[in-house]
Amino acid sequence: MASFAAVGLMFAGGFIVMILEIIGARYLASEFGGSFYVWVSQIGVVMIALAAGYYLGGALADRWQCLRRMAWLLVPAGGLVLTVPDYAPPLLEAIVLRHPADAPIPMVWQKLDPALGSAVVFLTPCLVLAMLPPYLIRISARGITHLGRLSGRIIAWSTLGSIAGVFVAGYFLIDWLRLTTIFRSAGIAILLLGLLCHPLSRAFAPEPVRDESGADHE
Amino acid sequence: MNDALSPVAPRASGRAGFRRTILAGFAAFSLTPQPFAGVVHETTSAYHHILVVDQRGRRTLSFDGSEETRMSLANPLQGHFEYVEYFFTPWLWNTNISNVLMLGLGGGSIQRLYAAHCPTVTIDTVEVDAAVQRVAGQYFNFNTGPRQRVFVQDGRMFLRRSNARYDLILLDAYTRGRYGSAIPHHLATREFFTLAREHLTADGVLAYNVIGTLNGYRADIVGSVYRTMKTVFPEVHLFPATESLNIVLVGTVRPVQVTPAWLKERTETVVNRGLVKLPTFAQRVSAFRAMPPANVERCPLLTDDFAPVDGLLGNTR
Repeated sequence: MASFAAVGLMFAGGFIVMILEIIGARYLASEFGGSFYVWVSQIGVVMIALAAGYYLGGALADRWQCLRRMAWLLVPAGGLVLTVPDYAPPLLEAIVLRHPADAPIPMVWQKLDPALGSAVVFLTPCLVLAMLPPYLIRISARGITHLGRLSGRIIAWSTLGSIAGVFVAGYFLIDWLRLTTIFRSAGIAILLLGLLCHPLSRAFAPEPVRDESGADHE
Repeated sequence: MNDALSPVAPRASGRAGFRRTILAGFAAFSLTPQPFAGVVHETTSAYHHILVVDQRGRRTLSFDGSEETRMSLANPLQGHFEYVEYFFTPWLWNTNISNVLMLGLGGGSIQRLYAAHCPTVTIDTVEVDAAVQRVAGQYFNFNTGPRQRVFVQDGRMFLRRSNARYDLILLDAYTRGRYGSAIPHHLATREFFTLAREHLTADGVLAYNVIGTLNGYRADIVGSVYRTMKTVFPEVHLFPATESLNIVLVGTVRPVQVTPAWLKERTETVVNRGLVKLPTFAQRVSAFRAMPPANVERCPLLTDDFAPVDGLLGNTR
C-alpha cells in the first residue's frame, strides 16, 4: 500500500511540475514575447525550484517524518497555481513596464526579466512539488538494506511522471484546453494531492527504523 | 512558402535501407542545405542556423535550411519573393503613409523595396535576432539610417512598450524549418492584434503574411488568423500570392466598402500620384479577394489563452 501510494504521489508530482513548465513557457510569451530567453528562463527557474525543493524536502522529512504535514505545503501551493490567471498578469506586467517606454530594454534585463517573471509564477509551486521525492524516500524507508532500490524507484517514478507531463502538455493540452483551464486543473490536482496526504499518511505509519545491526534509531 | 524545397530522406526498405535513411538524415543535417552551393556566410544564433548562399546570380538567406529571402546579386531590387510586393497594397486604403512598423527583418526585402519605391517613408523594424540584423547589413544591402531604424527585441514587447503610432504595420515574422512553417503564437492572437491596432493611426492598416492557402495547405491557420483579425479590424481583405503558398491579410482601422470601381480608382490614384513606384503594383492589387475564407466559421479564434497554432492548426492537409 505504501509502495503504491508513494509511486502514485511521485508520478503525479513529477507530472504536474512539467505541465507547469511547458505551459508556463507559453504563458510567459504573451508577457515577455517569444524570445529565446523565455525558454531559457523557464527551464532554469524550474531547475532552481527542483534543487531547492529536494534540499528542503529532505530536511523537512527528517524533522516531520509524517506525510500528513506535507498537506500544509501542498494545499497552499495548489491554491497558488489555481489562482495564477488572477494574480500573475499584473505582477508580470509590472516587471515589463517598469522599464521606461520608448527606450530599449538593456540586454541584461531582456535576459533576466523572463526569469523574474517565471520565478514569480512557478518557483514556489514547483519547489513544493520537488520536496516530494526525498520526503517520500525518508518516510517509506524501512532500514537501509533496500534503500538504494527504494530511492531509485521513487525518483524513477517521479521522472516518469515528468516525462508524461512534458508530452501530454506539449502534444495535447496546449491544443485542447485554455491556459486558464490548465492552470486551474493543475492547481486542483495539487490541492487533491495535499488532501490525500491525510488518509495516505497511515500507509506510511512511522515505526522504529532499524538498520542491519537491529539497533533502534531515533 | 518553400516547404516544397525541403530535402526528403530517400525511401529505403530493409535494415540496410533503414540505416541508409538514417545516414542520409545525418548528412542532410550536417550539409545544410547543399554541399555544392556557394556558401558566403554561415552562423548559428540563439534562434536560427543562418546561411547566406550565392548561386546562379542570386543570393539566398536561409534559416534552418528554409529560404527566407532571395535577392538578385546584379540588382538588389529584383529577385525577391513575390509575396513581399503585397505589402504595398495597404496604400490603397491609406495614401498618407509616412511611419511604418515592420515586425521581422529577415534579409530586408521589404525594407529595401520600400526605400526604393516609397522613399519618403520611415520604417522601424523590430527583429528578435541580433544576428539577422548583422547578416542583413553585411550581405543584403540593408542599411540603417534616419529612415531605417532597427530594434533588436521581440515584436510584441516592442509594441507593448512603445508610445509611437504608425500608419502601417507589416508582419512577416514566421519561423520556418524542415517540418514547415510555424507561426509565433503571441503574434497571432486577438490580444496581439488589439495591441497593434492601438498603435495605428486613424487610417492605419495592418498587413500580415500568412503561409497557407484558402482551401488546402494550412487553410486552418489562414482561417484562424482571418477570424481573429476580423474581431479587431472592421475590414479584413486577402491577397493570395500567385507564385507561392502565401496570403497577405490586410486589416483596416476604418471601415471601407471595397468595390471593383473603388479598387480601380484607388490604384490609379496611388500609381498616378507616384506614391508607390513599384512597377507591379496594379498587378498585385488584382489579386484582391473580398470573400472571407470558406472555412472561417470552423476555425478557432486565437487568444492568448488558447492558440493551438502548433498542433491543431499545424496539420498539413
